Amino acid sequence: MPDAQRHPFLQGLSKHRGAPPTVVVIFGASGDLTARKLIPAVFNLGYDNLLPADFFLVGFGRKPIPDDEFRGIATGAIKEFSRRELNADVWNRIAANTSYVAGGYDERDAFDRLAKHISAIETKIGREVQTLFYISTPPSVFAPILLNLGASGLASRYLGRRHHAKVIIEKPFGRDLISARALNTTIRSVFEEQQVYRIDHYLGKETVQDLLVQRFANAIFEPLWNRNFVDSVQITVAEEVGVGTRGGYYEQSGALRDMIQNHTMQLVALTAMEPPVSLDAEAVRDEKVKVLKSIQPLRVGSGGDVVRAQYAAGMMGGKLVKGYLEEEGINPQSATETYAAMRLWINNWRWQGVPFYIRSGKRQARRVSEIAIQFKRPPGTLFAESDRFNLAANTLAFQIQPDEGLSLVLNGKVPGLETRMQPVKMNFRYSTTFGSNTPEAYERLVLDAMIGDGTLFIRGDEAETSWALYTPVLEAWAAAGREGMGSYASGSWGPVGADELLATSKHTWRQP
Amino acid sequence: MAAIFNALPGIEVPVDSINKYLAQMWVDTAAKGGPAPAADDVKATQVNFVLHLGFNTTVDDALEQFQTAVLFSRRAPCRVVVLCPLPIDDPGTEMRAKIYGECHLGKSKGDTRCCEFVLLSYPFGARQYLESELSVCLITDLPLYYWVHRFASIHRLTEYQYLLRRSERILIDSSIADLGIFTFAWPRPEAVRDLVYARLLPVRQSIGQLLSGYEPAALIGGLRMVTATHDEKLTAEGRVLLAWTRERLLGCGALPEVGFDCRPASPTEGGLLRLAFEYANGHCFQWYGNVERKNACIEADYGAGRSTMHIAVSLLTPDAALSDAMFF
Repeated sequence: MPDAQRHPFLQGLSKHRGAPPTVVVIFGASGDLTARKLIPAVFNLGYDNLLPADFFLVGFGRKPIPDDEFRGIATGAIKEFSRRELNADVWNRIAANTSYVAGGYDERDAFDRLAKHISAIETKIGREVQTLFYISTPPSVFAPILLNLGASGLASRYLGRRHHAKVIIEKPFGRDLISARALNTTIRSVFEEQQVYRIDHYLGKETVQDLLVQRFANAIFEPLWNRNFVDSVQITVAEEVGVGTRGGYYEQSGALRDMIQNHTMQLVALTAMEPPVSLDAEAVRDEKVKVLKSIQPLRVGSGGDVVRAQYAAGMMGGKLVKGYLEEEGINPQSATETYAAMRLWINNWRWQGVPFYIRSGKRQARRVSEIAIQFKRPPGTLFAESDRFNLAANTLAFQIQPDEGLSLVLNGKVPGLETRMQPVKMNFRYSTTFGSNTPEAYERLVLDAMIGDGTLFIRGDEAETSWALYTPVLEAWAAAGREGMGSYASGSWGPVGADELLATSKHTWRQP
Repeated sequence: MAAIFNALPGIEVPVDSINKYLAQMWVDTAAKGGPAPAADDVKATQVNFVLHLGFNTTVDDALEQFQTAVLFSRRAPCRVVVLCPLPIDDPGTEMRAKIYGECHLGKSKGDTRCCEFVLLSYPFGARQYLESELSVCLITDLPLYYWVHRFASIHRLTEYQYLLRRSERILIDSSIADLGIFTFAWPRPEAVRDLVYARLLPVRQSIGQLLSGYEPAALIGGLRMVTATHDEKLTAEGRVLLAWTRERLLGCGALPEVGFDCRPASPTEGGLLRLAFEYANGHCFQWYGNVERKNACIEADYGAGRSTMHIAVSLLTPDAALSDAMFF
C-alpha cells in the first residue's frame, strides 16, 4: 500500500512497524515447529521492537498445559533455538501476555472457549484485536481446525476491516491435485482468500527475495534473461540428512511432495516469471501462476523428464551410513523416492527451448540450495583453442542456503605474456556485506501476515497449478511401484539416471 | 583538533600512501598470526561514511562518536573517513592521515566483519583540496553518507559542497547542532536527516501503532490542545515529537482551533517524555514514559472506555539511529 494511503499515524514508519494489536494463536503449540521456529520468531520480533504493544500469544493443543508451564516451554525453546540469546526484558513482556488453551481440534466447545479467551483479552485492553491463527499441525487435522474456526465465528472476526482474522497454514497443501483442491475448498468455505497465508518458508529467505531485486532492479540482467542468452537453468535443493526419525512421515511423502512440488517450484516461478506490474501481492502471484501454467506436462518413463531414486549406504563426513531401505520405520520394499530430478520445459515466448533442471534429495554431498543460470557461450572462434583457453560458460548462481549470496563466473586473462584465460568468480555474500544478523524466514513471514502482506505466501491456485503438474508423475510412480527406482550412494550428488537426464542435451549437473 | 586527531586510534601513515597502507594493514595482521581475514570476504563494504568533526567537538566527544561509527560499521560494513579540521591556519601545517582497522568476530567464520577507517587531519585553509583527497579515500561506486557533528557554525558547510551534493544522506543532530541548521540553504534538503527524529523511532512507532487503530476523524474531533513535555535534556526530542505529531494530525484533517505547546517538565525528571492530547468531548490520549528507564504508559479513551497500556520503550542507540537515518 502506498505510504500516502496508510493511516496518517503510520505514514513515515516502515510497513513492518505498523502491525495492529494482534493475538497469535498457534495450533500445534507443543509441536517441533513451534519450538524451533515460531516461538523464537516471536521473541526476535519483540527484540527488534516490531511487535505491536498489544501483542498476545496463545498456544492451543490437545494436551492440557498450564499457562506457566507453556511459558516455561517457550522460554526453553528460545534458549535452545533462537538466533539471539534470551533477553529477559523482552521475553518477560511477551510472556506476560502468553497463555494456553487446551482442547481437541475437532471439539467445537474448545473453539468457543478460545473465542471467549480472545474476547476477554479485548475486554481487558479495551480495544479490538486482530487474530492470526497459525496452523502448525499435521495435515490430518487441518480440516477440523478450519471448520471449527468457521463454526465458532473466529474466522469471520472483523471481516472487511483492516484487522480481520487471518490464518497461516503450513505445508503440505494437499498430497496431490485432488486433496489440494479439497483443502482449498475447505479453506474457502471458512475464509476468504485474502485472509489466507499458505506458508513456504523458502519465500522468507533473503536470497529468494533478492532474486526479484536482482532480476528487476538491475538493468544488466533482464535483457539477458531469456532463451536468446540463457542456455539452461539448474535448481538444486540438496540435504545432507537422511530421514532420521521421520521415516514414518517420509514414507508417505517423498522428495517430490516434500521439496520439489513446493520449495523448488517457488524457486522456478520466481526465476522464470515475467516482471509483475507492481510489487503488490496479487500482481506477483499472478505472474507466478502464469509461468507455472506454462510448464509442459512431464513425460514419465524411459527417456522422460523425471528421475527418482533412493539413497543407498555410503559415507557421510567420513562415516558409513545406512541406506534408506535399512532406516528405522522404512518398508524394505518401499517405493518412496528420496531423490527426484526433473527437466522442465516452459512453453512461453521467453523460455521456449531452455531446459530448467531441478533436483532435490536427501543424503547428498552437502546441504545446499541454489539457482544457477548458465548463459550461452560467446559465438565465434576467437578463443576456440581449448588447450589454451579454458573458457567457461558464464554462470550466475544464487545461493539460497547456506552462505546466502550470489556469484558470477566470468572468464579472465591469466597474467602473463601469453593470452591464456581462466574462469574467475565474483562473490557477493550477505553475511559479510550486510552483517549476519538477518532475520530468519519465519520472522519475516509471521510479521508479513500480521500486517496483511501476502506477497511471500502461496495463493490457492498456485498450489493447485503445481499439483496439476506433478500429480500425473506421482500416479505413474505409484502404479510402477519400485520399477524404475534408481539408487545413489549416500554422500554423492545423486543417481546415474539424473546425469543421463542432462547428458542428452550435453549438460552436466553442477556440484555447488 | 590536533589533539583530537592524536587521540583517535589508528596508525599514522603518509597521506599519499593511504591505500597502500590500508592494504598492508590486513597483510600484516595475518602475518603476525592474528585473525587473518579471508581477503575481501570479510571486508565487504556496503557504503562510504564520512564523519566530519566540527570545531565544537572535544576529545572525549570525538572518541565517543568514533566508537559509534565502529559500532555502526559492524551493522553495515563500510569505509569510514573521519575528517578532523584544524582551526588555526599555520602555513606550515600539512594534512595528516591515520588508518585504523577492526575485525568483529561473531559466532562463526561467516560472522566475521572488518571495517576500515581513514582519519584525515587538515588545515582549514586546505579545505579546497579535501575533495580530491577524499575521493582517493572513498570506495568508488558505493553510496556516500555524511555525518556532520558539532560544527561551530553550520554555515561552514558551504565550504563542503562536494559532500553536501554527493551524499545520499546528510546526518545532523538538532539537539547539539548550531541553530543555523534550521535556516541553512541545504542544496538538497530532501537528503537531510535529523538523528533526533531517528532516535525517536520507538516512541513514534508505539504512538503510531496505537493511534492508527482509531479513525482519523476520531483523533481530531474535539481536539483542543497537544502538549509535549520533556526533561530538559530532551528538549530537542520534545520539539521533534511535537512537530511529528502535528504533521500526523494534519494528515487526519484540518486543525483550525488546536494549540500546540512544547514545554520542559517541572520538576524535571531524567528521561521524561510526555505527549498529551486534550479534547473538548471527553476523549483523551496520553503517552508518557521514561526513556532512560525504558518504560512508558499509554492511556487512551476514544469513546469505548479508557485503556491503559504499559510498554517497553527507549530511544534508539546512537549506532541504531545512524542506521535508521541512513537507510530508512
